[in-house]
This record gives sequence, structure tokens and C-alpha cells, in this order.
Amino acid sequence: MSKFLKAFLFASLVFAPFTASAVTVASWGGAYTESQQKAYADTYSDPSSIVFENYNGGLGEVRAQVESGSVTWDLVDVLPSDAITGCDEGLFEDISSEIAELSTPGPDGESMLEDMENNGLEYHSGWDCCVPQIFWTYVVFYDPDAFPGEKPDSMADFFDTEKFPGKRGIHTWATGVIEKAMVADGVSPNAVPTVLANQTGAIDRAFEVMDRIKDDVVFWSAGSQPLELVKSGEVIMAIAYNGRVGAANLAEGENFEYIWEGQVLDQEYLCLTAGAPNRDAAIDFMMHASTPEAQAEQAKYITYGPMRASGIPIIQNNEPWGPGGVDIMPHMPNTPERLKVSIVSDPQWWSDYGAEINERYAAWMGN
Amino acid sequence: MEVTISTAELLTTDGIPLKQSLRKAERRNKLRAFLLVFPLLLFIIVTFVMPIGDMLLRSVDDSQINSVFPNTFNEYKNWDKGADELPPEEVYKSLFFELANGDKRQIGKALTRMNYAKSGWKSLIKKTTREIKKIVKKGEEPVSYKDTFIKINKFWGDPTYWYSFNQMVNDRSSIYYWNALDRTFDEDGDVVLQDEKRRMYIKTWLRTFKVSVYVTIFCLILGFPVAHLLANLPLRYSNLLMIFVLLPFWTSLLVRTTAWIVMLQQNGVINGILVWLGVISDDGRIQMVYNEAGTLIAMTQILLPFMILPLYSVMRVIPKSHMRAAQNLGAKPAMAFWRVYLPQTIPGISAGGLLVFVLAIGYFITPELVGGKDGKLIGSWIAYHLKTTLNWGLCAALGGILLGIMLIFYWLYNKIVGIDNIKLG
Repeated sequence: MSKFLKAFLFASLVFAPFTASAVTVASWGGAYTESQQKAYADTYSDPSSIVFENYNGGLGEVRAQVESGSVTWDLVDVLPSDAITGCDEGLFEDISSEIAELSTPGPDGESMLEDMENNGLEYHSGWDCCVPQIFWTYVVFYDPDAFPGEKPDSMADFFDTEKFPGKRGIHTWATGVIEKAMVADGVSPNAVPTVLANQTGAIDRAFEVMDRIKDDVVFWSAGSQPLELVKSGEVIMAIAYNGRVGAANLAEGENFEYIWEGQVLDQEYLCLTAGAPNRDAAIDFMMHASTPEAQAEQAKYITYGPMRASGIPIIQNNEPWGPGGVDIMPHMPNTPERLKVSIVSDPQWWSDYGAEINERYAAWMGN
Repeated sequence: MEVTISTAELLTTDGIPLKQSLRKAERRNKLRAFLLVFPLLLFIIVTFVMPIGDMLLRSVDDSQINSVFPNTFNEYKNWDKGADELPPEEVYKSLFFELANGDKRQIGKALTRMNYAKSGWKSLIKKTTREIKKIVKKGEEPVSYKDTFIKINKFWGDPTYWYSFNQMVNDRSSIYYWNALDRTFDEDGDVVLQDEKRRMYIKTWLRTFKVSVYVTIFCLILGFPVAHLLANLPLRYSNLLMIFVLLPFWTSLLVRTTAWIVMLQQNGVINGILVWLGVISDDGRIQMVYNEAGTLIAMTQILLPFMILPLYSVMRVIPKSHMRAAQNLGAKPAMAFWRVYLPQTIPGISAGGLLVFVLAIGYFITPELVGGKDGKLIGSWIAYHLKTTLNWGLCAALGGILLGIMLIFYWLYNKIVGIDNIKLG
């Protein structure tokens, strides 16, 4: 860390508000952080000791804090590829022994990590520094009113503009799109990560499939945009974060249909920043936020799925789980049946190849 | 009569030479002046000079990885690529020990760096380190380090991984600048074009440049008449009209950007009116947003006040009598405008033009939201590498190039128009 940046950060910290011994959690803001506040902080033994702060994702700010030695975030809510990189680089503290010792086991005595493996996940180095939060997913959705006849129900349909003419909404980065294209090309969803990692030319194959719809794509970059695109009829179907679609259905009276086949599950982790000022209190909160009960609780407020498998039965057995007596299971991405047709995105592979593929994706978009 | 000029020094009353006394007083004044501006100077150094200096250093710095693999890199330089397909045993051996004994976090950081040179390094080294640690734990000493590596993972027998070392073996490196221009190093360390499928930086640079120039020109074309009107109307009308310029200026950027999406999309207001008027058919709705056109339109509107305000403040003080005098002397209105009025607005045009151009070239949020397939500018890539890939070297190089472009423009501007000609009012 250079002295220059240190001095700069120090100067900016002088003006930062001083928060005494509250555990600061950096998260994505909006409805998501609200659901964390209600499900994790409000149910915690000392709710007032948890303070959420918004950030825009990525490890940039965490790295700046750790390298300058002036850490203000105790915990950071990150994507799995960031959990891996952060843990490898030492931006997050390795607390694997604390996790083994203090985390709440599942109902059948399985450890927390085993509980996660039951949900289709595989160990990666992010698990040493972080506890699980939720599954969210890149899912295709549509307004059934826009399809008076046959309705699309597969990835093959999404990538087929002859069968279903009209525009598609797709995001401006590659994660999730590549996997869906592989499914449209006939790869079984569960096998997609293996094929991508081991088959030469798999990426070329995905781009060939994407070429089929390229002229009919509207590219979006903010999570609210696909909802607007479908509502206004700008596109006939779109890839979106499932939580946004769930919120539109549950709170705004929309009637969107999901195409669960080929959904790409991604994850969120809560990680302990190296040198966190309230380390012990933060670990205690991490353990609380990763219990199956707390994870199931979060589904009440946002339709993201618990990353611990044992969270699902809690919701299932207590329906209607949602506020105002609505059933939540129809909107949960990771039920056992849906997992069979889903792709669990491989964060290690994406952190290896993400930059290269995203550059290629941008070149593809702009051509 | 003879005039004698005294060559003796002039003295003040207390006997000190006048020159010296004056110099002393002057020095005191200078010091006082310096102390007055010192806090500001310090502020500029800390918040402006240092971060930019730090950025420029980062764009050429590769010392971290060199401190993790010093021996491996040294041995690597001895590899005769013409003679041997793979590096000599010594390279494998050094790497073996540097991975076995290295600090986990430092290696972790180096991995992030290595992955920029070639995708796949991260997993490869992580898996290999795990196996190497097992071998060390067992206390075995490999007969051939090379074979051990290749047995752990077949990629260690793939020379393309080794070639990527060329990008990292020096403490100071220009690789990030080359990467920012779609170029990389080949097996001999020569600069070559990046894989064709990945080339997008040059394209994005040209687009950023093009959009900035267009936006500046559009702002000038649209802003000039508005500023002229504002400057020449009676105050009570012009104040009212000024509100129409300032209100959007004070409105949130995101709101304005979103409003443009509503206006421009295919089922949006403008397409709706055009279809209703019969100008275009219902199937022929124009795609005006989520592409470069959207970026141009939205950025022009958002940056327009930065052109109007400096123009207005310059035009306001141009005496109306000048135009009348020119016409009195026989100039037609167009000629009077061209020869008399326009030259006097140059300082406003310069200030507005530079302001809009500088803001446009680094614009991020608006192109990100309305840019869609081909309307994103270089700022989006800086943000991507800063946050997602953590490739700060590349970020710094992109920023460095941006800074360079600005300086060239400043220099050109100074040559052609003269920097004293800028006026904000």
C-alpha cells in the first residue's frame, strides 16, 4: 500500500462519522438489505448493535480499507467469486475453525457446510472466511398475457426467435447468459459447469447460440430495468434477478411466469473483513445470520432461497410463509425439483475466466 | 557644472542598506502570502496530486508478484524458448519451493495478478499448492520437479501458461497500457494484438472519443441560441426561462436518465407520437435507446446546462450597441454576427466546450444505463476492473490514458485559442 493512498484515505476518514462499536455490515441496499435487517438484525439478541451500510458490490473498497489499515466494515455481503478472491488475498479473515466450532448444525446433526452441500453446492475457499446467505438466480420471466397461444417454457424457446418472435431482455455482462445458452444447445443444466470447464470450444458454442437472438436483444444493466422492459412490452421475455420478479408478483399484483429451466443460481456470502474493528461481535452475528431459521426468515421479505438446505423445509412446513398469508414456495428458486433443472454457477471458474469472457461478451454486444 | 553621483549605498535610518531592507520586507510578505495559500496547496496535494501520482505509479507497478516469485522469475529468464519446449527443471524447482514456503496471502494476491496474464492461473496454482504442501508434509523429495508438476496437472506441460510469465517478470512493466489498447506480449515478450474475439478497448476508446466530441458539438448547437435568447431578453422573462435551464440541472441524474428511457424506448412517448402521426408504422418503431444513439441523446441533454451557463454569462456582458454599430457601418446582420458578435463569445464557447468535453469523456452512469449494446464508454470498464476483477493496474492505465488525452487537448487548445481566453463570466 502506498503512503499516498494511505494519507488520502486517512484524510477522508477524518470526516467519516464515528460509529462506536456497532458491527457495520456493508450490503447491497434496497429491498435486499431491508430483508437482511428484518431477518437477521431484528431477530438478533442486540438488534441495535448491527448497522447496515450500502455499497455497490465488488472488492475494490474492501481492498482499499484493508491495505490502508483503516477498516470500517466488519462484515461484507459479497458474491461467491469475491468471497474466493477476498479469502485468497487475505482481505477476509480465515475463520474456518470458528465456523466449525460455532455454527449451528442442521436438524439431523449435519454441519453447516454439509447442509450447504446438500443444496447442490461445492466447497470453495470462500467458505473459510464467510458464512452463507441466500441463493439468488438469473431467471427468465414473461407476462403470460403477451402469449395468447403457446407459452415458452424452456431455454430452447428463449433462444428461438422463430418460434417466439419478439425481443429479449438480457444483461450487459456474461455471467448467467453463457450457461443458459449451453442449456439451449442441449446440455443438461446440471452438467453445464463441467462442460464449460472441461470442453474446449464450449464458450464458442455458447456464443454461437447467443448469435441466434443477438439482433433481438435489449441489453439492460440495472436490476429494475428488465421488469420495466417486460411491463412496457419493450421485450416479450427477459432475464432478471428472481427477487425482483417475486416482489413484482407479490407486492405489485403482477402475474409474471418464471421459466425455471436453465435458471442460474448464484450465491451471497457474509464475510469477515481482515482487521475488523468488532471482530468477535461480528463473528457472533455471522453465526446467527447463518442459522437455518434466520435464512428461512429472510424468504418472508424477499424471494431468495436459503443457502442451507434445511432452511427450505421450515418454509414448506409453515406456509403461508409470506406476509399477508401468501405462499412463498412458488417463488423459491432452490426447491429440490427446481434444482434438477438449474445450473449452480461455478464461482471458481468465473473468477478464473470472468474477465476474459466479459471482454469477449462486450465485443460481441457491440458488433 | 559638474554633477557628482554618489556611489555609496543608500541606507535606511537604522543603517541597513535599503536594498537589503526592502528584500527583507518583501520576503516577509512572500512568506505571509505563502502561508495564506498553504492550506489550499496542501489540500490540492493530498486530494489531487498524490492520488493521481499513485494512480500513475500503479499503472506500471508489478513489484508485488516479483517479491513472491523472485527465484522462479530469475530462472525463467534463462529459458531458451527456441531450444526447449518447456522451461528448465530449475524453474519448476524454484516455483515448487516458492509455493510451498510462500505466505498464503501474498501468493493469493499474486494469483489475482497472474490471472490477468492468462485466465486459469488462479485454479491451477491453488490446486497445485495444495498438492505440493502434501508432498512436503510427507517429506518426499521429488526426483524430477517438472514431472511432479505435470503429474499434478497437465497444464504445467502447456507452454502457453509459461509464456504468460513474460508479462510479469519485471518490477516495472508497460503491459497494462498495452492491455488497455487491446495488445499483449507474445512468447518472446514482443507486443502483439490481443486475441481477436476479446478486442474491445480500442473500439471503446474511439467510441468514448466520438461520443464526447458529438455531445460537445450538439450542446454548442443547442445551447448557443438558448444562451443568446437568455442574455438578450428583458430580465423578468429571462429569469423565468433560466428556471427551465436550471431545474433539470438540479434534478437527479438518475431521474433524468430514466426519463429518457421512458421517452425513447420503442413503446415510449416519442415512438408513440410518431406512430400516431403516421410518420412510422407500428412495426417500424425506431430503436433510440439501449444503444449509442440513446447515450448521445441523454448525455447531450444532461450536459447542456454546462454549455449554456458559461455562454450566457459571457453573452450577458457583450454590449448590445456593438451589433447596432456594426450594422450602422453597413454590415448585414449575418456579417455583423460573424465578425463582431461571435468573436466576443469565444471565451464562453471555449469554457463551455472544454467543460462539456471533459465531463463527457469520463461519463459513467448515463451510458451504463442507456448504453445497452454499443453505447458504453471507457468509464464502465474502469469501474468493472476496479470492482470486479481488481485489476487496478489496468484501471490505472486506462485512467492514465484518459489523463493523457485531456492534457493533449489542453495543450492543443492553448496553442490554438490560448488558455487565457477561457471565461466563466
